[in-house]
Amino acid sequence: MNNIVGIVNYGIAGNVHSIKKAIEKAGGVVQIINIKEEFNSVDKIVIPGVGSFKDAIHELKNDNLFESLKKAIISKPTLGICLGMQILSSIGFEYGKTEGLCVVDAEVHPIRVEAKVPHVGFNKIDVIKSNKLLSTIENEEFYFMHSYEVVNFHDVVSTATYENHLFVSSIQKDNIFGVQFHPEKSREAGIKLFKNFIEL
Amino acid sequence: MKTRVIVKLDVKPPYVVKPVHFEGLRKIGFPAELAKKYYNQGADEVIYIDIVASLYRRDILFDEIESTANELFIPLGVGGGVRNIEDFSKLFHSGADKVIINTYAVQENPEIINQAAQIFGSQAVVVNIEAKKWDNWYECYSDGGKVQSGKDVLEWVKEVEQSGAGEIILQSIDCDGLKKGFDIELAKQVVDSVNIPVVVSSGAGKLEDIKELIEYARPSGVAIASLLHYDEYTIGEIKNYMIENIIGVSG
Repeated sequence: MNNIVGIVNYGIAGNVHSIKKAIEKAGGVVQIINIKEEFNSVDKIVIPGVGSFKDAIHELKNDNLFESLKKAIISKPTLGICLGMQILSSIGFEYGKTEGLCVVDAEVHPIRVEAKVPHVGFNKIDVIKSNKLLSTIENEEFYFMHSYEVVNFHDVVSTATYENHLFVSSIQKDNIFGVQFHPEKSREAGIKLFKNFIEL
Repeated sequence: MKTRVIVKLDVKPPYVVKPVHFEGLRKIGFPAELAKKYYNQGADEVIYIDIVASLYRRDILFDEIESTANELFIPLGVGGGVRNIEDFSKLFHSGADKVIINTYAVQENPEIINQAAQIFGSQAVVVNIEAKKWDNWYECYSDGGKVQSGKDVLEWVKEVEQSGAGEIILQSIDCDGLKKGFDIELAKQVVDSVNIPVVVSSGAGKLEDIKELIEYARPSGVAIASLLHYDEYTIGEIKNYMIENIIGVSG
């Protein structure tokens, strides 16, 4: 059974706990990755997301995880959640300009909407490319909590709309997945998403 | 965007209590059990506030929070007695998705809002406001409505927005626990003053109060305690009412 999901634990930010619980609820086996050697013993990777783009990259480098994570993403199915999705991009513009993991050709900008920011709450997604990760949960609502959005033209799987502003809600490039929302906070639909990820 | 329906748990460990006017306390139940119950009813979020941690200057009880976060697959905001970045970090690791701060920021060090936002992201830093109405202004209080700050609510909310807070929870000391309706003027003034989401608390006594608040002030969320704690309504009933009365609400 080659199905251990590694959650990358970096810096003092990160909502590792919530994601671990949700994956276990979905029937998965979780290993927390604290040091780079631990990438070898997992089959899939989840990059959590609470924090700022700049700090996340800084902490990954500080914890000596950055390069190994980049390598692991290429060979193992990976799911980035919220900020964890955003840092897959080439460049982020939160508290200055920061280079990301550069595994997806995208930029991260402040969300361009004339409404309250951050965008917080349950919102529907629109799936524009059918996808294993979102299988059977295409019409569900997911919990969003973000002030920045991924700008990408090639790898968009689903969008969402916040007060007339259309933005990217999930991406996929090969075995690299990213979701702007928080499946670990999206009731049963989120658990199902993790189930889909485990079964990839 | 649909108005979020949020459950507020005022906790005096180990119990959820219902403060009336921030004074007398009634025991309602245990936080983990109530959080589970409201999750199953369809709540969009849970707010957990340790109402004594700040006043008694004692540490937040992380175990209580961990057990509340357990099996709760919706966002959990936690506050009460948060004084430094380490508190933020510990709370996130205990299962909080947002950390709520009031006393330390408003009374001692507003700079902590900015520090926390830089590390954890704005969306995870929530400022709680305890507003007290005076003749022609509202004053920020702290420690569960017990300590004055001299700060004007409308100026303070702009300051915290500037500092990077991602959300505001607005409580009214005058309306809290009385179930006689929200202070909708206060709510509207705060919502209109800032560009970050505002969750309005304190005062829901009947479903019409929620409708009146949302239509007049357009808050991003409404926080409810008494209506639910005494089993007058379930979250499902509140949401159905909101849907039927045209107000946007999360399914």
